[in-house]
Amino acid sequence: MLPCGTFNTRPEEDLAIVRTKTQWFLIVVGLVFFVTLGLFSPEDWVVWLILLGITAIAVLGLHILTGLCGQFSMGQAAFMAVGAYTAAVFGSRYGLSPWATLPLAGIFAGLVGLLFGTPALRIKGFYLVMSTIAAQFIIIWILREWDTVTGGVFGMAVPAIKIGGEKLSDVQFWWLTLGLLVVMIILAKNIQRTATGRRFVAVRDNDLAAEVIGVNLFRTKLVAFFIGCFFAGIAGWLWAHFYTHISPEQFTFKDSLWFLGMIIVGGMGSTTGAVFGATLIRLTDKMVDYISPLLSDAFPSIGVQVFPALSLIIFALVVIFFIMIEPRGLYHRFQRLRLYYQLHPFSY
Amino acid sequence: MADIVLQGFLVGGLYALVALGFVLIFKSSQVLNLAYGEMIAILSYFLYFLLDSLEFPLGVAILLMFVAGAGLGFLVERSFIRPLVGQPFLALLMMTLMLMFLFKGIMVLIWGGESYSFTFAPEGMYELGGVSILPSALWAFAAAIFVFLLLAFLFRYTKIGLAMRVVAADHAVSQSLGIKVKRIFSLSWVISGVFAAVCGILLGLVTMITPTMGDIGLGKGLVVLLLGGMTSIPGALVGGLILGLAEALGGYYWTDLREIIPWILMLFILIVRPWGMFGERRIERI
Repeated sequence: MLPCGTFNTRPEEDLAIVRTKTQWFLIVVGLVFFVTLGLFSPEDWVVWLILLGITAIAVLGLHILTGLCGQFSMGQAAFMAVGAYTAAVFGSRYGLSPWATLPLAGIFAGLVGLLFGTPALRIKGFYLVMSTIAAQFIIIWILREWDTVTGGVFGMAVPAIKIGGEKLSDVQFWWLTLGLLVVMIILAKNIQRTATGRRFVAVRDNDLAAEVIGVNLFRTKLVAFFIGCFFAGIAGWLWAHFYTHISPEQFTFKDSLWFLGMIIVGGMGSTTGAVFGATLIRLTDKMVDYISPLLSDAFPSIGVQVFPALSLIIFALVVIFFIMIEPRGLYHRFQRLRLYYQLHPFSY
Repeated sequence: MADIVLQGFLVGGLYALVALGFVLIFKSSQVLNLAYGEMIAILSYFLYFLLDSLEFPLGVAILLMFVAGAGLGFLVERSFIRPLVGQPFLALLMMTLMLMFLFKGIMVLIWGGESYSFTFAPEGMYELGGVSILPSALWAFAAAIFVFLLLAFLFRYTKIGLAMRVVAADHAVSQSLGIKVKRIFSLSWVISGVFAAVCGILLGLVTMITPTMGDIGLGKGLVVLLLGGMTSIPGALVGGLILGLAEALGGYYWTDLREIIPWILMLFILIVRPWGMFGERRIERI
């Protein structure tokens, strides 16, 4: 919602994503903040930031597929793996430069997504969810078994990104991640505003009505699958180049469910919400890092398992909290807060 | 070859047993309890704890485990499922998924990553047509048949079963017919908790008690459920046997294929016949 007294008098103003000077100011300040954040954070927090960026991109893809088009996917991590392996195979076996594999990673992941989206021709809702679970397990299995290409269980090395002969440092990699994240956010925001994006929303809200007004259901769902998995592929590309060694065990069913949990926490159907959700879940996960040594000191009998157990329990509790108390997610709360301050002396 | 087929059937009986727990909840409240596998695992650990650490006699321990199962089912329904009545199906699906994480976390927190096995497992091997089989596997198969008959009887011939079917069809209608919807929900979850306890004993006997034993719920039970049709009791049994057989045969020809067979079967049935072999043809409801 725009502040009082802002009128759209020209079409360009109506189209603009960033409308007022305050918004521009906040965006520039925010970007500067996030760029410099890498310089001043301790090392493990820089790694955390990079992971957050990668997660946020994957979650944005899921936001388009699930939040906009209403097709739940429980295989996002596997599509990420497809992107990562595309980058690795083309990078190390065919010697393509990382910049050339970036679009390839996205497109390959998208194509695999299309393949597993085809059951949407006959089934929907819960049954489609099941087919994405099958996708998760089948893709990871193929990556593990096809060892002449993917290196099997042991995974494969990925050539690092080099600029001027130098490997990227963690901070530089954070800048790269941030840049890609910003591009992807703009992309996601704009997809939402196109005719395709409106078709997605129509399919989500009422697929029967959408079909009656002339939306091609099957094609729309497939496009949503392609775009959602494209995002996952880009995230996978970043993941592969950050760790420089990938194996099938890095992309588990659990991760797919975490992505789904993140958009629930953030709020379905908004780009900002997707980023919020990713941030909140990653932040709580990072907190567990700090809490669990204390707990394992206090209760030595359960010392070893505290970290994995606590991270599962806290994630589950956070998502359960949001499903029960605020199904519209963090973004809804944020908007209400913003509205409250915008209108401050008055309540309407 | 005969031993492969027999093994497949026995394992299939176990899968059917797990799937029947899903069917019970789904048939009576249209909730797909994805946490069922972890409920089985946590009850299994609980029984081990009673036997090993507290040294209860076997009969008492099993009785306590049944009580704990019923309590767990009741608690889950009361605190996590009931607030979501009337919400979309997928919200409930996410809820049970998160419960799966929660149970798994609690399990790992208390018992760590250790594997145990029950000490009361019967010794020796049975001979059946020249094939030696594990006694506990045979028990599990028998239990699956028994639970199947019990469920079929419950839904077909008892008033409670009829009430459960009405509740699944429409809450408002059943309420106006004088059926207490909430009580039916609680009841079906309590029964499924007891079923989980039964599964926990048998699964712990046949395999071992490991932190990953709960994966059977999602990895096998759900596939069987889709194979047979979501609401069909005979479907769960037949689906379980088919899956067990397919896994055994597939694993015989190509060992690595074994773990992927459930998913391929599931994709196949989803594309060819989404409502399953014995299910009702009304998938658009979900």
